[in-house]
Amino acid sequence: MIPLENFLILAGILFATGLYGVLARRSAILILMSVELMLAAVSINFIAFAAYLDGEAFSGLIFALFVITVAAAEVGLALGIVLRLFRERRTSYVDAADTLKW
Amino acid sequence: MIDRLPLPAQFDRIIMAGGAVVALVLTPILVVLLALLVGDQISAAELVFWLAFTVIVAGALGTVLLSNIVHAALALVATLLGVAAIYLLLATEFIALVQILVYGGGVVILIIFGLMLTNAQADPVVTDGSQKPFAAIVGLLLASIFIAAAIDAEWGAETAAVIPFRDFGARLFKDFIVPVIIVGVLLDIALSGALVNARPPREDDATPEGEAAS
Repeated sequence: MIPLENFLILAGILFATGLYGVLARRSAILILMSVELMLAAVSINFIAFAAYLDGEAFSGLIFALFVITVAAAEVGLALGIVLRLFRERRTSYVDAADTLKW
Repeated sequence: MIDRLPLPAQFDRIIMAGGAVVALVLTPILVVLLALLVGDQISAAELVFWLAFTVIVAGALGTVLLSNIVHAALALVATLLGVAAIYLLLATEFIALVQILVYGGGVVILIIFGLMLTNAQADPVVTDGSQKPFAAIVGLLLASIFIAAAIDAEWGAETAAVIPFRDFGARLFKDFIVPVIIVGVLLDIALSGALVNARPPREDDATPEGEAAS
């Protein structure tokens, strides 16, 4: 029997790695990939809690399903925006999108 | 024999280098885990867990550290498939299959298309001061807080339940029907939004007021 803590530690490491990627990367698509890592970490937490502490209620599983759906929608939309940015600025680096910066 | 494989030379090198790295990292871990399994130190489920743990953490580090963007995307695939293995281990087959279908099949393909369409090269070299040290500090602090909290807390009775998926579907479409409908509407909006954003501008498009001058 694997203790619940192992799953939580794995999710914590995965989330922190994704956060590092979001903060350190400059390319919009790499930031998007790091966000995917963070979402996967959250889903692991939801499913681990659902399986260990919430055997009948399924709420964690349903939340994980919604997380996956919303993440798919988010990737499609974000890549549309990145394509738009690329068409305007000829680059996909977030440093190039500085019109609102003063 | 490898010379005769009908692969472009660049893919050849990538596959061989990647395979060598994966083999070098995974083989010692696999040997140690198998020795522990034979010596009855860990169960088979724990062996699978630690293998998936290695793949996930190595893939995540590859995703955020590799400078070649396509290699980072391949590392992301490894991570997401490892997460699917974790779901299988938690006896939630349906979510694991959805994870493989949606992430391995859809999201990653979409990201790779995005890479190709935006002509993205490596992560740019920054000249105005790197954020990496601060990002590393934040990441390490957050990871240590999570690990300390997970170890310190009392989680009550631990009985990993095998969840019947017939009940899961009934519950999803009876009690959670409103969120399901909202997610459907959200997907519709996201689809139209992505289409409107990504479509190239045409001659007969009505220009918004602010952009008319430029």
